Amino acid sequence: MTVAEIPQPGSLLAQIEESQARYRSIFRLKFFATWAGLIGLLLAGLYFTGNIDTAFIAEWGPFIIGGAGLTVFVSAVSIVFATILALIGAIGRLSRNPYINGIASLYVSLVRGTPLIVQIYFIYLALPQLGIVLAAIPSGIIALSFNYGAYMTEVFRAGIQAVPRGQREAAQSLGLTERLVMWRIVMPQAFRIVIPAIGNDFVAMLKDSSLVSILAVEELLFRSQLVGRQNFRSLEALVIAAAVYWLLTIIFSYFQQRLELRMARGDR
Amino acid sequence: MTTIRRGTALLAGLLILAACQQAGAVPAAVCVGEATTYFAYLTGSEDQPDAQDPIEQADAAGDLLESVQEAGVLRISTDANYEPQSFREPDGSWVGFDIDVGTEIAERLGVEAEFQHQDWDIITAGNWNERWDISVGSMTITTGRKELFSFTQPYYYTPAYLAASERSGVTSLDDLEFTIPDDVEAITRPTDQNCIEDIEAGRTEFDLLMTSGTVIDGAVEGGLPIVKIGEPVFNEPLSVAIDKAGPEHAALLYEIDQIIGEMHADGTLTALSEEWFGTDFSQEAAAD
Repeated sequence: MTVAEIPQPGSLLAQIEESQARYRSIFRLKFFATWAGLIGLLLAGLYFTGNIDTAFIAEWGPFIIGGAGLTVFVSAVSIVFATILALIGAIGRLSRNPYINGIASLYVSLVRGTPLIVQIYFIYLALPQLGIVLAAIPSGIIALSFNYGAYMTEVFRAGIQAVPRGQREAAQSLGLTERLVMWRIVMPQAFRIVIPAIGNDFVAMLKDSSLVSILAVEELLFRSQLVGRQNFRSLEALVIAAAVYWLLTIIFSYFQQRLELRMARGDR
Repeated sequence: MTTIRRGTALLAGLLILAACQQAGAVPAAVCVGEATTYFAYLTGSEDQPDAQDPIEQADAAGDLLESVQEAGVLRISTDANYEPQSFREPDGSWVGFDIDVGTEIAERLGVEAEFQHQDWDIITAGNWNERWDISVGSMTITTGRKELFSFTQPYYYTPAYLAASERSGVTSLDDLEFTIPDDVEAITRPTDQNCIEDIEAGRTEFDLLMTSGTVIDGAVEGGLPIVKIGEPVFNEPLSVAIDKAGPEHAALLYEIDQIIGEMHADGTLTALSEEWFGTDFSQEAAAD
């Protein structure tokens, strides 16, 4: 055996990396080919069996898609309010004060124990009987915020509790006050833990925002149903709406993934 | 009430059921929109089409008329699911007979018309909470609704018809025999458009539906597999409605009633009706 036949350790590593890279790119290629193939099949199937009216799609597509702006607006505003509510709720749920803890727990239990659609109707149709009259869009935003706030309260509580006890103890032993420990040591770490969950909730919110269509808010689903019914082309109209929801979640998931990678840097 | 005779072509569903039970004991399934006069008519409820109450002149001070004039905007609710009364263009604009009537009323009041879609059952439930001022949505005056709403004189009348799915083979009233309301099973959907959609989707819970002739004509024109049958079953007086639970509105009601009277007199309503329906519905048609 000659020396020349023994591969250099450096080049072996390079070869392994190269073969892994090749494997990854082939995997990715096949992965996307599968998606493209299946989606193509689905669309072709719809087109040939569903009596699809392409002229209708061309004529009404822009009007339906125009509702996406309001969908994103309602979802984005609601997720901001829900996050604030959840932060307050989580602190309440962890409070040693029985009254504050009781209020926060009741909020979570009540909201999680009733359907979102009931909450939406309640705010829009029932509150006026108590003298509180809200327009459709604010009603929808309030209902979504309260609903998601309750679910996210539990996420935030778990996130805060997941920060290792040692972190808190170390900060306390350095002489930091209780408040500083919470805001400078625990919260930043808890926030990193809950980011993926907030992202998931936002994706879910994008879709649940379709429920406010029952209040005649002109978002994506409302417009799709209106146009579908008016022209008796429900299949086309609903497919357009579904495609836009899907696209919105894909776009958002991409940014969420990048954010998660960024937040995870500290773990390496 | 209305009796409809049976011919050779029976509904498929009826036929199968009739084999098991005695003929005539099977209620005919007829689809109608919830909270519509058709439902009331089919079920024989007390809430039947009715004439409007007398309207008296009133002082505008503190009236809804005053706040509308101050705002310069008349907020009109209508359900955009009803072509040709009220529907949307691809650019989002509102069009239809009700839209033209509403726009004309606002113009003659000297204010802007602002339309908003509300689901029909929300409008007819009353308690609008001042979210909009009036309904120009082809609302039938009924005894029950008069408890909730103030009505102007009718601005037009539509004949109510039965329609059958194409697959049932029913094409005329002679093909049917049942007495309304005794032998009818009313099947409700949120709106009468849903009844038509169900037939289009091939659902088989019913083969008959009842709605306004104009809705049926619109659907037939859109290529939907339904057939309008027979003569009008009854005529609906359709009016502008104002919520009685809302603010004082006697002056606004009087003004709009006067405007509708003028629109009848000067031929505006006849012209609009002919434009949108191809026929003059502004006067009550002779009922069968």
